[in-house]
Order: sequence, then C-alpha cells, then structure tokens
Amino acid sequence: MRKYLYIFKTEVMTNLQYAFDILIGFVSYCIMIFIFLNLWHYIYSDPKELINGYNMNQMIWYVIITEILWMSLGGRKLCKKICEDVRSGNIAYNINKPYNYVEYSLSNHLGLVTVRFILVGILGMVLGLVFLHSTPIQSIFQVIAVIVSCFLATVINILLITSLGLISFFIEDANPFYWIYSKMILVIGTLFPIEFFPQVLQPIIKYSPIYVVSYGPAKLFVDFSLDSFIGIIIAQIIYLIIGFSVCHLIYNKGVRKLNVNGG
Amino acid sequence: MAVITVKNLSKNFNVKLKEKGLKGSLKSLIKPKYKTIKAVKNISFEVEKGEMIAFIGPNGAGKSTSIKMMTGILFPDKGEIDILGLDPKKDRKRLAYEIGCVFGQKEQLWTHLTPYDNFKFFGAIYDIPEFQVEKKIKELTELFELGDFITTPVRNLSLGQRIRCEIVASLIHEPKILFLDEPTIGLDPVVKENIRVLIKRMNKEYKTTVVLTSHDVSDIEKLCKRVIIVNNGQIVLDDSMENLKYHYLNKKIVEAKMKEQVNLEDEDGITILKDKGYNLKVEVDTKKRSVADALKILNPDNIVDINITNVPLEEIISDIYKAGDKE
Amino acid sequence: MLTEVKNQFKVAFTSIKYALQREMLNKVTFITNILFMILNNSCFIVQWIILYSLKENVGGYTLKEVLLLWGLAASTFGASRFFFKDAFNLTEVINDGKLDVYLIQPKNVLISCITSSVDVSAIGDMAYGYIMLFIYGISIKNFLLFTFFTICGALTITAVSIIFSSLTFWFGKIDIVANTINSLMTSFATYPDGIFKGVIKVLFYTIIPIGFINYLPVKIISDFNICYLLMVIFVAILFITIAFVVFYKGLKKYSSSNLMNVSV
Repeated sequence: MRKYLYIFKTEVMTNLQYAFDILIGFVSYCIMIFIFLNLWHYIYSDPKELINGYNMNQMIWYVIITEILWMSLGGRKLCKKICEDVRSGNIAYNINKPYNYVEYSLSNHLGLVTVRFILVGILGMVLGLVFLHSTPIQSIFQVIAVIVSCFLATVINILLITSLGLISFFIEDANPFYWIYSKMILVIGTLFPIEFFPQVLQPIIKYSPIYVVSYGPAKLFVDFSLDSFIGIIIAQIIYLIIGFSVCHLIYNKGVRKLNVNGG
Repeated sequence: MAVITVKNLSKNFNVKLKEKGLKGSLKSLIKPKYKTIKAVKNISFEVEKGEMIAFIGPNGAGKSTSIKMMTGILFPDKGEIDILGLDPKKDRKRLAYEIGCVFGQKEQLWTHLTPYDNFKFFGAIYDIPEFQVEKKIKELTELFELGDFITTPVRNLSLGQRIRCEIVASLIHEPKILFLDEPTIGLDPVVKENIRVLIKRMNKEYKTTVVLTSHDVSDIEKLCKRVIIVNNGQIVLDDSMENLKYHYLNKKIVEAKMKEQVNLEDEDGITILKDKGYNLKVEVDTKKRSVADALKILNPDNIVDINITNVPLEEIISDIYKAGDKE
Repeated sequence: MLTEVKNQFKVAFTSIKYALQREMLNKVTFITNILFMILNNSCFIVQWIILYSLKENVGGYTLKEVLLLWGLAASTFGASRFFFKDAFNLTEVINDGKLDVYLIQPKNVLISCITSSVDVSAIGDMAYGYIMLFIYGISIKNFLLFTFFTICGALTITAVSIIFSSLTFWFGKIDIVANTINSLMTSFATYPDGIFKGVIKVLFYTIIPIGFINYLPVKIISDFNICYLLMVIFVAILFITIAFVVFYKGLKKYSSSNLMNVSV
C-alpha cells in the first residue's frame, strides 16, 4: 500500500512543474464559468426562483463543481497513456514488477489530478464567492462529505477511463470509446443536474456512471441532505467495486492474450 | 566580376543569462541579464562568378549566421553585403529569385508528392512559365540522372535520391548562386561521390556560383578550389585549396614496424608521435630534414613494414580551427 | 502588379491543395476525423434543447436562430483552421525558426507560412455549419449569405490569431495570449449575445470581434440589413490589414534581432 502512496507523491512533485499547462486550463475554466454565470443570470428572471428545484446560485455552483472535477481529471491524457502503454508493449514490463498495473496507474494519475484539483478548486471557489457572494455550504460535515464524494468520483472516473483504455488490448484504437464516454459526461452530467432532463430519462441517468462521477458530488455541494449523502456514497462504493473489477478483468484477459501472442 | 561582396560584416547576439535554481529563474524573469556573443566579427571577402568556394568552420563559428545574412534571413549589425548588385536586407524578394538554397538537414520538398510535381510547384513559386519549367525539368533530370525515380513519391526515395531532388528543386529557377549547407550529411561514401560529380557537372554547365558548407573534408577537397575558414566569428583562412595543401605538404608521417626496438630521440625536424617499442610513428618536417634522413635513423634493415603519408587534410583543418581558438 | 497577386494566389492555393492531399493518404482516418467532428458538434444540441424547454427565447434568439449561430461559429472556425492551420500555432513556427525557409523564397512570407498545412477535422466543422443552415432553413439567399459570412469570418478569425501570435516576435514564448483570445472567440461565439451584459459586449466589437464574425451575420441572415453587411466587410478588411502590418513589423524585428533563441 505504501508503494502506491510513494508513486502518488512522486507524480505530484513532477506535475508541479507543469504550472504553465495548468494556467491554460485555468483560462478555459474561467471562460466556462463566466459563460454560465451570464446564461443562468439571464434565464432566471428572479434569482430566488426555483427551476426543477434549484435556484440560480445553485445552478452556477453546480457547474463550478462539475467543471472542477472534469478539468482536474485530465481524462484524455490518461486514456492516451493507457493506450500507448498497451500498444507499445510497455505494459508487459509492468508484469515483472511487484505491483499491480491498475493500482500503479491509478496512484500515478491521482498525483496529477490532486495538484490540478487543488488549483482549479481554489479558482472555482474564488470565482463563486466573488460573483455569487455566498456558498450553499452549511456545515463542516458537508465540506467533508463533498471532499470524500469528490475523491470517490475521481477514482471511479479514473478506473472507468482506464478500463476503456485497456480495450486497446482487443481493438486497435480505443479512443472513440473514450470520446463517447467523455461526451456523455460532459453534455449530460456537467451542465445540468439530472432533474433537468425528461422524466423518462432520469432513472437511466441515475444508474449510469454520470450519477456517481459528476452529479453526486455537485449535488452534495449545492443541496445537501443526509439522505442524498447516503444514497450517493452507496452508489459510489458500488461503482468503485464495479470499476476495480472491470479493470482487473480486462487487464487479466488482455495480459493473457499478450502472453499467448508473445507480446 | 564579383557576385558576392561582403565588407566588414558583423553581428552580435544577446544570450539571456540564467542562474541556477528557482531563485535564478525568478531573477531572470524580472531583471534579465544578457551576455553578448560576437557571432560574426568584421568579415570581408569576395566571390567571383562561377567559383565554388568552401565556407567552413567548427560549430558555432559564425558560418550559418553569415549565410543567413547573405540570404536575407538576418540583418547585419554592421557592414555591407552586395549580392549580384542587391542588398539582401532591402531587396530580399528580388534576391530570392536569383539564389537557391539546399539545407541538408531541412527538407523543402513535399514528401507525398513525386519529384516531378515538386519541381512544378517550385516553378510556380518562382513565377516561371509552364513551358520553361518543363524544359528545365527535362534538362536537370538528365543532368542529375533522376529519370528512374522522378515519378516516385519523395518519401519512397533513398536519402541520396532525395538530396539530388532537393538540389534540382533549388535549380529550377536558374539561380546565379547556390548555397549548399551540408548537402551530403548522412550519405554513404559512394553516394557522396556521385553527388559531388553532379554538382561539379552543374557548375561547369551553368557557371553557377556555389557556396558550400560541409563538415566532410572530401566534399571540400574534391569540389572547391577556394576555402574560407571561419572560427570565432572571424576569417582564419581565405586561400586556394592548393595553397592550403601545399603549406602543409611539407609534413610527412612515417609509420614503421621494427624488428628490434629502437631508441629514438626527438631531433630537429623529426617529432616522435608514437613510440611503442616495435611500432613507431614520427612526423618529418621536410623543410628541415628529408624523408631519406629519417629512414636512415631508423635503419632500413631493421624495418619490417613501413607507411609514409601526408598529413590528412582533416587534421590540417582542425589544426587551423584550434589555432583560431587561441585568439 | 496584378500578375504578382495572381501568382501569389496560385501558389497559395496549390500549397493548400498539396497539404490536403498529404492528409488524404489514409482515407479511413480522413473520413473518421470529419465524421467525428460533426458528431462532436451535434452533442451540444442537447444543451440547447434543454435550455429552450425552460424559455422560448434565449438572449434574443429562437432555437432555430441559436442553431444557426452554432452553425456559423462552426463554419467560420472550421474554415479558418482548415485553410490557415499554421496561423494558429504561429508562435511555435516563429520560435522554431521555421520561417527561414519562407524567407528565402520570393513569395509573401506570411501567406506561404499559413497555407502550408491543413486541419482535416475542421472540414467536419464546416460541414456541420451547413447542416445547421439546412435545419434553420435553406434558400439561395441564405446559402449565399452564409457562405459569404463564413469566408469573412474565417479571414477575421485568422487575422486576429496572427495579430496576437505575432507578439512572439517581441516577447518570445507568449502563445498563451493568442491561445486565450482564440479560446474566447470559439467559446463565446456559440452563445447568444443577449445573455451577456455590460463591458463584455464592448469586447465583442473590438478585440474579440465575434460581434462582426457571428452575431451581426446571424441578424443579417434573419433580417437583411445592408449597413451591417458593409460593417462586416469593413471590419474583415481592417483586421486583415492590421495582421499584415503587425506581422511584417515583427518579421523585420526577427531579422534584425539580436536574441539568440530566435536564430540558431
């Protein structure tokens, strides 16, 4: 377990140097939030008005949180890396090492994510406070709950993307799968809470990864209740287990295929 | 009639100085310090029409900078350049029609196109009418022996074939001066020789003035009658190839394998380069002692095997480079 | 003089043609890239459907008008990136010394540089633009106007990118400025101007001229106005002129430069 912590720490240090890259991410983030600030200000003729159960501030905070999660994830980079590892055969070298590839890759990427999360997180909070003058945070417990939920959401996201990347064992180019996944999260999960979608689709979305990867933590931030907390955490734990299992399954199958073909 | 006249050419560069570590990086951001490097210091020379000159020097000597100034890419800080009556700084476009450049390390051709299509494209860049381009392509294809592969995409050609095409592409517009920067880099000896023959042929046929930069000494030796050696931004030597060799031909190297060990000492005109008991290597300054004298000292009966050679041109040139460094 | 211009156009056009050919070597990748881009753009229709379920008129635009706005944003973006790809990584081109090869040719350095490669996925953006036009309602007038504005818009977008990238000549690795401005133009262009208030609207008609690239054109297509049309043309010409002036001033500095990193 300690080795994964070490890998995580090393990646954090390496990524502190990519400050410039992050700066560019900052700019896109600010642009996004600015646009949504204007958009929701426009749609809500009265800020106190409730649409689908949310007031204007909540809608904007929602986007702030989901975008923090999405921007800090660096999903594209992760998928590319996994695909490269598989394609180049690098993954074979990991078989000899005394750690598990999936866990290694997870700790490694978490290093990158943590730095970005903290930085974009601070940026998001500052933007939110400056333009909205208040947060929906009511207690320390809520803060902890949100952070825990964010962490779980990120880990699940990483695992799911990793399993998509590992599909490269069987298919030449797994990038289209990643693209579909990311578009889904982006368009359905990031901009509007589930309540904004047609009633017919809501249950489907609730059971999809969108619920645990994007909606969950953001909901806890803008509209906290013990019930929803428990519901979301349970869903996240279930997805965590699914994520790990799927990853290991595909990895083992893939490695076996490698061995059969001589790598 | 001089086609290239360079007078008192100078150019300096300012390099940012950065101290070590994070503090250093911050310092260099806020209050940058610069060091001035004199890349080209007061260079002057002339080149006549039809000459093939070698413009050589160690890396960082200032030759690429000088060539960039001659082609109009950079402007000099001081001095004048006159190429075919034009000032590269003011008449860059007009000059571009009269000069051609081949960079051994940078490809200018479209790799997915055939050489033929590439040549047509270059013809268009230089505003040459269709029929003239066709005629020129035919001529050059024959001259450079491209017939076999002129319709094969460039990316499928060997390096030697590519370089030949690059050279032809730079000749489509019949430039009066051709700048060749490391044209034979990466080529095997047979192909190199082949390209040299073709360049010589072209120079004879069209009287194109050629300025050649190369680290390959045989290129220079076989193609150029005149050598300009640049080091540390200054011209260290500007002479004919013959003179260059002549001044150094007075030194001979004698390598001998002996039957019995010989005790040699340095004498006037004879320098011991290597003495490993049975294997000897000495340098004889023929202005002071003859080779025959040297042999006498070694004792012909004692000699099992012997080799007498000139100092290789390579060594001559690197000695000149080193001499320039001392200044 | 006229033949010079004609020749310049001929070479630029041939250059783009060859760059495109180079990208078409792998037919499958070529088609996939285009289709993907169309799909990519279509995903965002979901966003607008939901927003319009809340309100019939968002920022002064109906749903159809917003889709047209998206379409024009996509087609201008696509056209600029397709024809003038290198205008959008000009900083890298300058810093890597890649301009030298154009300096020794007798053609316009800026044009030679930006027509040397094409962005295939941008074809998808252009196609998407026309699909949106079709949804909005196609007619000869609309088609001609849309195409006209695509061309004007693309030229203006390219000019803006060139202007800000040329700062590299003076300040070194400063691509973040050009990238930011380009991002701003791309992001805001897909949202109706009615939702924005205050200072930002001034920007839309100055340094981030999407007012002239996207908003006015959409207004003109739904409600023809000759004044606006002339303004769009004028602004395009203005920006192109500034782009050339700034670039050439920078190029002069590049050649007289004494900075080591600029020439090796």
